Amino acid sequence: MTFYTHSFTEIIKSAFSAETWRLLFPALISTLYMVGIATILTLIVGLILGAILVMTDKDGLTPIPFLNRILGAVINALRSLPSMIMIILTLPLARLITGKGYGANACIIALAISCIPMYARLVENSLLEVDKGKIEAAKSMGIDNFKILFTLILPESLPSIVRSFTVAVIAIISMTALAGSFGAGGIGNIAIQYGFNRFRYDILIATVFVLIIFAQIVQMAGDFGAKLILKKRHLL
Amino acid sequence: MDKNFIHVINLTKSFYTQNKKIEVLKNINLQIAKGDIYGIIGFSGAGKSTLVRCINRLETPDSGQILIGGKDITMLSKSELNEERKKIGMIFQTFNLFDSKTVFQNIEYPLKSSHKNKSERKKSVLELIELVGLTEKTYDYPSQLSGGQKQRVGIARALANKPDVLLCDEATSALDPQTTLAILDLLIDIKEKFGITILMISHEVEVIKYACNHVAVIEHGSIKEKGSTLTVLQNPQSDTGKIFTKVEQQLKEEWILKGGVV
Repeated sequence: MTFYTHSFTEIIKSAFSAETWRLLFPALISTLYMVGIATILTLIVGLILGAILVMTDKDGLTPIPFLNRILGAVINALRSLPSMIMIILTLPLARLITGKGYGANACIIALAISCIPMYARLVENSLLEVDKGKIEAAKSMGIDNFKILFTLILPESLPSIVRSFTVAVIAIISMTALAGSFGAGGIGNIAIQYGFNRFRYDILIATVFVLIIFAQIVQMAGDFGAKLILKKRHLL
Repeated sequence: MDKNFIHVINLTKSFYTQNKKIEVLKNINLQIAKGDIYGIIGFSGAGKSTLVRCINRLETPDSGQILIGGKDITMLSKSELNEERKKIGMIFQTFNLFDSKTVFQNIEYPLKSSHKNKSERKKSVLELIELVGLTEKTYDYPSQLSGGQKQRVGIARALANKPDVLLCDEATSALDPQTTLAILDLLIDIKEKFGITILMISHEVEVIKYACNHVAVIEHGSIKEKGSTLTVLQNPQSDTGKIFTKVEQQLKEEWILKGGVV
């Protein structure tokens, strides 16, 4: 069902037919599963790494320049790899951890490893936005450094952290689709198997539609969350 | 008994930029009596801010001693310093309130690392809010407050741990004249009530005249003269002191020439 053999309206009609969505639905669930787990991993590890980057910086609260440089270099190295290469690279690791070099769980590890460095950098930027004067005020009260991180820097930068989290989740969604071509299943797999290999443009369009809706929902939720916090603090 | 509560002895501090060494504080000596309001006046870049930040060690001095109640601040370990900092409140030109917290939470924040339990904390916070006259604003966020109200919260927060010393880093420089007076009155009132020692830095002669009993004039990192506010500002010996009072005098004369009344 390509544009050469069928009219545009026929393809669109088929894209939203019950038959197409019966095919798509299990893939959708599988994608949600992968995105969900990868998101949780990214959120936790990314936050920790971002906080370590800020704290150990030479101008940070607990400067450890050596650790900071090494962590920075590793993050930069991981970020410079294209997602597809990252998936190939992490397959042996996935096999080691999950016992399988393919499937949803293997894919989650690749997703997390390639999105964590990005989110760590975004968190770093968010945390650095907190006014130095506020941190000094807390220091002048005799609050210890870790308490300043958890009770001041994190709450102050929360709206910004929520926004960068949105960016990270959308990146994970698009990478999940890519991982489909490596046997991870999900929406991306459907798009390649039907849309590309079998010229089913109707199904391709349906997958594109689903991915766009996903990204929109995440973006809207993120914006809403950030705005809610800002409104509560009367900063908007 | 020594009536002086704060001793700054031979304090020096330098900053390094690329390959240049800039001496910000040169051999500073100060004695401040308990319950005094002590002013430090100087132009921008004279080193007054660095001096006050050395006192609670937001800046680490290169050499010299700072004694507060006999304890040498420069020799304290990290945890001792944090304990000591609770006894030294500080307020800032830019207020530095926490936007994520309400007025109540801002003032409660320093108390959270004390031994007080929740109800004791609440009691102290409400007392402080009443002291600075912001009872109606208790659960507002800082962004809902005016400049003067923000500084009142800053003061209440700095007083939360019942400090012996209050450092004011250009605390009124961002406020209009009327609000400045109200804040200075509040500080004087607090000094009377709690016998707290206040160290105030400013580039406004008016502020020093109004609030301080003693003043030190700082110029290019050294103290040029010090003494009671009256003596120093009536007959200044240093260039900085002369310029400050001369500018004031000139403005007054021009005003009179225009037909204004003093």
